Amino acid sequence: MTDFTETERSQLRLASGLDKPLPREQNRISPRRRFALTGKHLLLILLAGLTLAPVVLIISTALKTDVDVKVDPFGLFTSFSFENIVNAWTQGGFSDYVWNSVLLTVPSTALVLVLSTLAGYAFARLPFPGRTTLFYVVVLGLLVPFFTYMIPLFYQLRSLGLLDTLPGVILVLTSTGVSFGTFFMRAFFTDLPVELDQAARIDGASEWQIFHRIMLPLVGSGISALGVFTFLGAWNNFLVPLLYLPGGNFRPVTTGLYQFMSARLIDVGPLAAAALITIFPVLVLFVVLQKQVATGFISGAVKG
Amino acid sequence: MITSTVPKVTRRAQARLGIFMVAPLMILVIVFFLFPLGSSVYYSVVDFDGVTANPPFVGLANYVRMFTDPEVLHALTNNLIWIVIGTIAPLVIGLLLALMLWTVRRGSALYRLAFFFPFVLPGVVIGIVWGWIYDPLSGWLNVALRAVGLGSLVTGWLGNPNTALYAVLATAIWAGFGFAMIIFLSALRNVDTELVDAARLDRTNAAQRLWHVILPQIMPVFLMVTTITLVGGFSVFDIIFIMTNGSIATNVLGTYSYSNAFQLNNISYGTTLALLITALSIPCAVLLNRLQRKLSLQGTSA
Repeated sequence: MTDFTETERSQLRLASGLDKPLPREQNRISPRRRFALTGKHLLLILLAGLTLAPVVLIISTALKTDVDVKVDPFGLFTSFSFENIVNAWTQGGFSDYVWNSVLLTVPSTALVLVLSTLAGYAFARLPFPGRTTLFYVVVLGLLVPFFTYMIPLFYQLRSLGLLDTLPGVILVLTSTGVSFGTFFMRAFFTDLPVELDQAARIDGASEWQIFHRIMLPLVGSGISALGVFTFLGAWNNFLVPLLYLPGGNFRPVTTGLYQFMSARLIDVGPLAAAALITIFPVLVLFVVLQKQVATGFISGAVKG
Repeated sequence: MITSTVPKVTRRAQARLGIFMVAPLMILVIVFFLFPLGSSVYYSVVDFDGVTANPPFVGLANYVRMFTDPEVLHALTNNLIWIVIGTIAPLVIGLLLALMLWTVRRGSALYRLAFFFPFVLPGVVIGIVWGWIYDPLSGWLNVALRAVGLGSLVTGWLGNPNTALYAVLATAIWAGFGFAMIIFLSALRNVDTELVDAARLDRTNAAQRLWHVILPQIMPVFLMVTTITLVGGFSVFDIIFIMTNGSIATNVLGTYSYSNAFQLNNISYGTTLALLITALSIPCAVLLNRLQRKLSLQGTSA
């Protein structure tokens, strides 16, 4: 492989259009390329470090001792203790806030998944009267910002007796997620081949069985991506609990953290710990299910 | 098209199941979306104080007030600054990073994870940590500026009315560029690399290849990300509300609408302002969506 003549080399060079010398050994990259690649990696590591620096700041400040956090709040990892986290969890009330967040997020995510899967299937594969019109209404929900109707919704919830209640906010969180969810699941069901239900119908399957036994198992990846996406959106939601849980009985982590921030601006340590508690599930979900997270956001954007 | 081959019994069964399957969704959408949406138009033509059952009809008074309110113009200007910088910066940073990561094999997943992570953080956490970075005394930004001899630039970034909006905007860009990046990366995966190699053979430089070969191929995705960030720019609320609550300097339509409705009890006026946000953002979204669809169709036919 290596015994090319000089002319052959120059011909090769010409053919591939490379203006740099050919590598001595074909299966090794040239020093120049390797140098460029190393430089690129160094730059990427630097940029990634800069991007994550604020997250590191939260972790570092949360894990400081009480004394150190007053002297040097933003110096990285100058001391270590769990006292801030214990403080935020107990005195800060974050054990309640986390529980409230779970109570709001899990049911609304489950509802979004069920409603979107059912409706997405119907919109994709079951012709029924008024289908196009109803689907336009669902798409309208994607276009209109939450801002437009959040104020009347407040008074509507109040007159329905749903203001400051768990069911009320769960239903609002669900309704803000179903437009996207239906759109998303419809795209998944549309992609499945027509032959599938024809074959099943010949075998005597009912319409419900076709959905339940044949189609549903094929969109598992879509459902899990939507689930992660919806869960993150609901967990991070700030405006909905801020508006519709004004009493503070079921305060979730986001508005709890906001309250905590306004009340104790100087208490940097417990605040950092509270922030860390708030993002902990996000962090775990993001690292463990990174593929679903990415798929959810990418296909969500492409299909939306 | 397939209905002709499907027997009538099946069609009836499908219609019945279809209605049954969308019914729960439609009830939710009607009660929690369509109804309040209609109410918001009603709210804007009455003077609702939050208590009275039959508020007096005021016609277009709220709209007249909106168009003569100097604070609306100020807030709208801030929205426009936010939209222009807040759309362009994440797009440029996201595209550059995606191009860098495109050819990287080793560690690519880790880099993606790192750059995308800020996007999934809740706004309150982002607001808190950037509030520390902008801290006038011991914040990283001012410490760094003093360290490199730029002490004259030191200021209270969020308190100073001249810098507050841009400080919050920089935070939003940090939180948002990762989204643009992963979308671009997934689009670049579909780019025809043979065309790029062919262009390289023709001795084009990197900028020419980007402009003439790569960008046209990812244009639909580019417009899609633009639409999403742009529409989000009109209804921005969380991060501004959290980082500079109550500051006039950073007022945008969203925070102005919120404070009118929930702090000043001008419920009808706040709703009218919210309708303005909608009226501005929907045409932009539709227009860009049309353009994007046109480009994707061209792309598939070519």
